[in-house]
Amino acid sequence: MEHMLETSRLLLTEITRSLLKKMRSSPILYTFFSAMIFFSVVMFAFLTFFLLHTKTRFNFMDVFFSVFFLFLMKSASDLHTYFITAPQLSYVLSINVSHRKTIGELVFGIVTINTGLWFAFSLLYLVVLSALRISIDYPVEYVLISINVISAILLGCSLSLHFFSSYRYRMIPTLLLLAFCWFSQSLVFIACMAPLVVLHMIWGLTHPLDSYRFVKRKERTKERSQVHLRSPLQTLFYREVTVIWRERLFFSFVSMSIFSALGTGYLYLYGTDLFIPESIQEMMGGFLPTLFVFLGIYIVTMYTAVFPALNLFLSEEKTMWILRNLPVANQTIVYGKTLALCLCFITTLPFLAFIPVFLGVDDMLFLFWFLVFSFLAAVIIAVPLGVKYVGKKSDILLLYSVAMILFIVLSGVGAAMNFLRGAATVSLLPLCLMLLLLEVSLVFLSLKLSALILSKPSITG
Amino acid sequence: MITVKNLTKRYGKIVALNTVHFTFEDTKVIAIMGENGAGKSTLLKICAGILPFDQGEVLIDTFSITTQSLQAREHLGYLPEMPELYDRITGREFLFYIASLRKLAKAKETIENLAQLIGITEFLDYELGGYSKGMKQKISLLSAIMHAPKNLLLDEPVYGLDPLASRAILDFIKKRQGTTIFATHSTQLVEHVADTVYFLMRGNVIASAAVSSLMQQYGSIENAYFYYKDGTHA
Repeated sequence: MEHMLETSRLLLTEITRSLLKKMRSSPILYTFFSAMIFFSVVMFAFLTFFLLHTKTRFNFMDVFFSVFFLFLMKSASDLHTYFITAPQLSYVLSINVSHRKTIGELVFGIVTINTGLWFAFSLLYLVVLSALRISIDYPVEYVLISINVISAILLGCSLSLHFFSSYRYRMIPTLLLLAFCWFSQSLVFIACMAPLVVLHMIWGLTHPLDSYRFVKRKERTKERSQVHLRSPLQTLFYREVTVIWRERLFFSFVSMSIFSALGTGYLYLYGTDLFIPESIQEMMGGFLPTLFVFLGIYIVTMYTAVFPALNLFLSEEKTMWILRNLPVANQTIVYGKTLALCLCFITTLPFLAFIPVFLGVDDMLFLFWFLVFSFLAAVIIAVPLGVKYVGKKSDILLLYSVAMILFIVLSGVGAAMNFLRGAATVSLLPLCLMLLLLEVSLVFLSLKLSALILSKPSITG
Repeated sequence: MITVKNLTKRYGKIVALNTVHFTFEDTKVIAIMGENGAGKSTLLKICAGILPFDQGEVLIDTFSITTQSLQAREHLGYLPEMPELYDRITGREFLFYIASLRKLAKAKETIENLAQLIGITEFLDYELGGYSKGMKQKISLLSAIMHAPKNLLLDEPVYGLDPLASRAILDFIKKRQGTTIFATHSTQLVEHVADTVYFLMRGNVIASAAVSSLMQQYGSIENAYFYYKDGTHA
């Protein structure tokens, strides 16, 4: 009994301590993030209140599947982080306990964490709803959704286990179960499938180390070498560009831009009819297509600017010693690395190329301006934060915070400019150019600040 | 020459280095020995300018590592204990990257010669992500010595290296001009290459002496180490 769930306990202890350590080292960031989570849940409760009061009909199963999908992806990502790519696991796997039991306990740990998150957020949501005097007397539904969330977590773990392995065909049963869940569109049916999901997970654990070994396999590949002596600025730029290219990020960004353009265009044309009931179309109808375009640009910016700009320094966690020990000025390091984001900006252009198919070409110049503005805003916010939090590579909290700051800035500027475009009788071109110039100056200030943060002794290798 | 004056470094409540004072003279090979957690790696990281410290001063030649760090780093080479490298670039690209940032002339010849010396030529065109621990150690060592630094800081220099590469490194350390400081647990390494040895214990220097005199007095560095550590012979 003493050794029961030893690995689960270790995992929970490690995650809790790591979170506490991060909270102590970056209190402002984590206070901000906690406030953002609270704000988001409360906002969802208010949105529910609004929809109920306007007698808007919405499909409850769509909301349920959004939650289901979120937990599916979260648990898949957790298993990837705490098992498949975790270097510290080699010791646990070397002891005389069966691998199946060890990985099973890891999965149990992940289920515990995510179920805890589900109960915490859902209860907060229900408390706000009851404060708004909305009836929350649906205990059976709540229990069913909770069971289904646990199923989603198990299916996410299973998906991750088989996706990162050389036997990807083993994903087929997982995908079939997901398809059944989707097509049934019934909470009771999905809850009844829970035992099957548990059995499926147990079957998945019969090959526990496939994914671990698959990810840790050594590949010695020859690449076309970039061996030239260059200036420090060029050298730093080329290294970043080489990594973006070799990790296939360039193609990933380009395809994301194209899909965003197609999605935005589709929503621009049909989104209002699809999502907004006729009763409130008059109230929101005119506003929504513009909002969809804004969201499209925001998503493209998040993907092509925020991720790479944050990772310029976040990903230097253990390699920072290389730069710290070279006679290169911090300003050169920051400029050289940031310059590589030009390549990322190129990947946003397919968005502009595809979007006129749906929107026409009248607004192209404004869209281009807003895309450049958003991209630069992302650089201004993300680069210094990336430098400040070197080593927090996959910190979802940091990413969420940057996303929220960017969203607030862009929505403010976007709404103001959109209003001016409708109201102004003179050309807005000088104002747009002035704003861009102001932003370019802010980029330089932001990079100077980043260099200053980098020179602080707390940023170490 | 490397001068360390009254250096103190704390990790929270733990004192890693306690008012440590050294002067490492030119053309000398200095070994730093001590148990795990004695502060060896911390000392080297501070001297290399990659770790901040709480009190004291570190001078590389005459340049302060904090206020004149660029000039100080020009005269410095550093090899960490377990070097992490960029996974998606090749060994040759990494060395050219370092050479470019150090503005080295004749980088190609230097890289070829040194790669041959430590036996890594055939792996230079593979991505670093696929390198073994020893190969990473070799390529990092090459990056630390390619600009012929006056001051070289090596943290466990032969850790993970094959015997041939170890021997090549030892010969290189013996022959090179300038100051070489290395942290190690290997008493044999100290006996073979070091002129002076410092024993560190819980952040304090408990003894320092010429290796030859310790050998005469105690028979071996291992005996000397245990004598200073516990007051007994091994």
